[in-house]
Amino acid sequence: MAKLPVSLTINSDEHDLLIEPRKTLLAVLRDTVGLTGTKEGCSTGDCGACTVIVDGKAVTSCMVLAVTASGKEITTIEGLASDGELHPVQQAFINTGGYQCGFCTPGFIMASKALIDENPDRTEEEFRHALGGNICRCTGYTKILEAVLKAAEEIRTTA
Amino acid sequence: MSEYTVVGQTVARVDAVEKVTGAAQYGADIHPPGMLYGKIVRSKHAHANIRSIDTSEAEKLPGVRAIITQDDVPSGRRVFATDKVLYLGEPLAAVAATDPDIAEEAAERIKIDYEVLPVVQDVMEAIKPSAPRLHGDDTKDGPNRREISGQIRTLSRDKENDHSDEISKLEAGLEAYPDEVYYNISAESHTEAGDVEKGFAESDVVVEDTYVIPRVHQTYMEPHVSVASADSSGKITVWASTQGPFAIRSGIAGTLGIPLTQINVIGTTMGGGFGGRFGVIITHVPAVLLSQKTGRPVRVQMTREEEFTDGRPAPGCVIKLKTGATNDGRILAREALAFWDSGSVSGASIGSTIRVRGVYKIPNLKVDAYGVHTNKSGTAAYRAPGAPQAIFAGESQLDEIAERIGMDPVKFRLMNMREEGDEVPAGGSEPKVGYKETLEAVADAAGWWDREADENQGWGVAVGDWTNGCGPGGVYVSVHEDGSARIFHGSMDITGTDTAISQIIAEILTVPYESVTIRRGDTDSAPYSTGSGGSVVTFTMGNTAKLAAEDAHRRILELASERLNTNVDDLELKDGAVHIISAEQPKSISLGELAAYSLSTTGGPIVGKGSFARQASTPALAAQIAKVEVDPGTGRTRVLKLVASQDVGFAINPMAVEGQIEGGTVQGYAWAMMEEMQYGDEGNINPGFVDYRVPTSADLPTVESVIVEVPAPNGPYGAKGVGEPPITPTLATMANAVKDAIGIRITELPIKPEKVVDALKSNGR
Repeated sequence: MAKLPVSLTINSDEHDLLIEPRKTLLAVLRDTVGLTGTKEGCSTGDCGACTVIVDGKAVTSCMVLAVTASGKEITTIEGLASDGELHPVQQAFINTGGYQCGFCTPGFIMASKALIDENPDRTEEEFRHALGGNICRCTGYTKILEAVLKAAEEIRTTA
Repeated sequence: MSEYTVVGQTVARVDAVEKVTGAAQYGADIHPPGMLYGKIVRSKHAHANIRSIDTSEAEKLPGVRAIITQDDVPSGRRVFATDKVLYLGEPLAAVAATDPDIAEEAAERIKIDYEVLPVVQDVMEAIKPSAPRLHGDDTKDGPNRREISGQIRTLSRDKENDHSDEISKLEAGLEAYPDEVYYNISAESHTEAGDVEKGFAESDVVVEDTYVIPRVHQTYMEPHVSVASADSSGKITVWASTQGPFAIRSGIAGTLGIPLTQINVIGTTMGGGFGGRFGVIITHVPAVLLSQKTGRPVRVQMTREEEFTDGRPAPGCVIKLKTGATNDGRILAREALAFWDSGSVSGASIGSTIRVRGVYKIPNLKVDAYGVHTNKSGTAAYRAPGAPQAIFAGESQLDEIAERIGMDPVKFRLMNMREEGDEVPAGGSEPKVGYKETLEAVADAAGWWDREADENQGWGVAVGDWTNGCGPGGVYVSVHEDGSARIFHGSMDITGTDTAISQIIAEILTVPYESVTIRRGDTDSAPYSTGSGGSVVTFTMGNTAKLAAEDAHRRILELASERLNTNVDDLELKDGAVHIISAEQPKSISLGELAAYSLSTTGGPIVGKGSFARQASTPALAAQIAKVEVDPGTGRTRVLKLVASQDVGFAINPMAVEGQIEGGTVQGYAWAMMEEMQYGDEGNINPGFVDYRVPTSADLPTVESVIVEVPAPNGPYGAKGVGEPPITPTLATMANAVKDAIGIRITELPIKPEKVVDALKSNGR
């Protein structure tokens, strides 16, 4: 299949790639760029494990064709910590025990970050519904919500 | 104040940073140079004879490097179906190609000529003479034929209280049952204690019912994957997402006839397992075969759809249950007949039917269980295998008895619970277990005793028991010149166990938790370790770690006695240094100094070894209370409160223990209310998250967990396995709460809104 030129800005690094039009952003991140922190849980956009932030919005990267993301700013889980410091959302997931097997965790952290950036003042109930596109099978969500609320509070108070 | 400084404390897990930064390496993250992508070719029918497999069109596709079928399995052991398929998704061949999309396209180009056969998906249909036989020939004297005990007709459901149409159909079918033989039976299990007939005769109240529990998928978030690499010398390396690397090693060796030492299995970080990640053939064997054929590394990764069609989910079952009790609340007898849907192969946990006895004194008990073949994939363990199903029946029926004799469900349970020293049905006597403490704790925490309910609201309680397993394990611990300790072992971390092991070592070596690191070896390097399932890891590896640390502790004191010129008995290891006890001149030497000194001694470095296999385990109880509100218009049940207590023996890392309780409870909730693998004549019809709904954060409130600690005599620091118990009572907890809310007993799971609406309608509401 003929390949098309694609320019992606991933975690502030520019990547000029030749990509088959049928490849998803998830496949390109994982197989071409080698950023495997973003996970593939269902390939149908239903589990949220592949969530990345594209131009400020959380998207399921298995549902995005990479060629359509050309020219866009993409942040993956690998791009969240800066200068050796974990992002407050990452730290909150550790402090509250908001992860177990860890497979859904990058997706949850990226989805949570996008939600908090957009509006850190959501109530628990609002976060519960807003995170309804991400599936976790280990935690039962109690400690994930604790983490998200803690991170939102921290970001609110330090902003 | 605890006598311990590290165990019993919540600490950040050893894998914390790698898991929140995306650095943890799962199976699909492994990408050796030159790797090919494998794809399994699967049956498109649930039951069919295979006339031919034509790979010629697929071979022409550029990028295809190998296509294999059963003809390519030198050992002849069954990896792919040849002449007949028994379920939709059964593997028939596999492809390796340079790109995953090419592999998929090649798989689609392989032409299979099927002769479609009649399908049977319902266990109660499969046992009838009219059912298609899955194994052997089509005559009634095939290998899976069993004489029946006759009791199938004597056990009937409680028709006044059971309004399930599905069950009515099953009953009608059975009443017309013309033969004295069951067909398609894969296995059977029978237990009898006392005299149930006498027990029922002496009972004031007897309740009978039939419970139907669906097949559900473990739904670990990481689909199965393996990467295999066979080198030119025949050495095979397999990166496997598995709960048991050593089991995978012996499984591959056995299946392919390869010496054990020629296979190295590297367990990758596991994206959930819950019992479903022990399979050998699933992706590992095809990956090895493809790598052998191509001489290149090959990754075989299942899609979510493949997980649903060819995973090994938890078996559904039909349990006919009868219980007799006196008006003053004593349970006298219980009898169960269960049919477990084993799928195309045997392996359903039918022995777990015995768990209908619960934790109660039941003098007369009879349990008959059968595994039944249907046109589905085989089954595997799922968190306390078999217990949630059996306990759902047992605990649902207890509430019906309590209601009829007018007794509070919590008090009724407390009154009948076994106590320390009571005779155990399986033999021996009951150890000290916090049965009553755990139930009382959840009742207090949930506000059971002064509970209030508005219209359409209800409260439900149930308890479930499980005993952790135990298995062989080996651990080494080394102490280094900087005073740090390094643990080396071979068991997969199952969401917190590496942390618990590290805490135990830190506790015994009296060093800070942060100065202990842990490394899991592969099967070439690590000491043998049991698979991470059956809640074994904290119990087994915790005990093993303790032995290793104690061994290191001995060596440390030995070195200190040489160095400080003092008798070992006068020395104490404390705060990372050895001190002379009650010396007139206090003298001490740090662990780091001792480790440095050890390098030039005859006895050598500080290396502690622990090796352990078996000690009696102690049962654990999980008790849960739910408050729900049912919308009679839509049938939707909303959880208002969900409280879960558990006797964990001793919580080595309390936050991790809470996480296990919360997660297990929500899985139980999902089984009760949402999840169900559905099958038609063409096989599984809901192989994705849109049609197979698992809970999201929007479905539930916070789960409140309550830790109860009644130490287990042989557990490390009294700890019991904590992973499995919390799923066991939730199915009944939810059903009992719905019953309390709407006054109708639903015996067929899941309690989806439409089922509630139907139940209300058939009761004229």
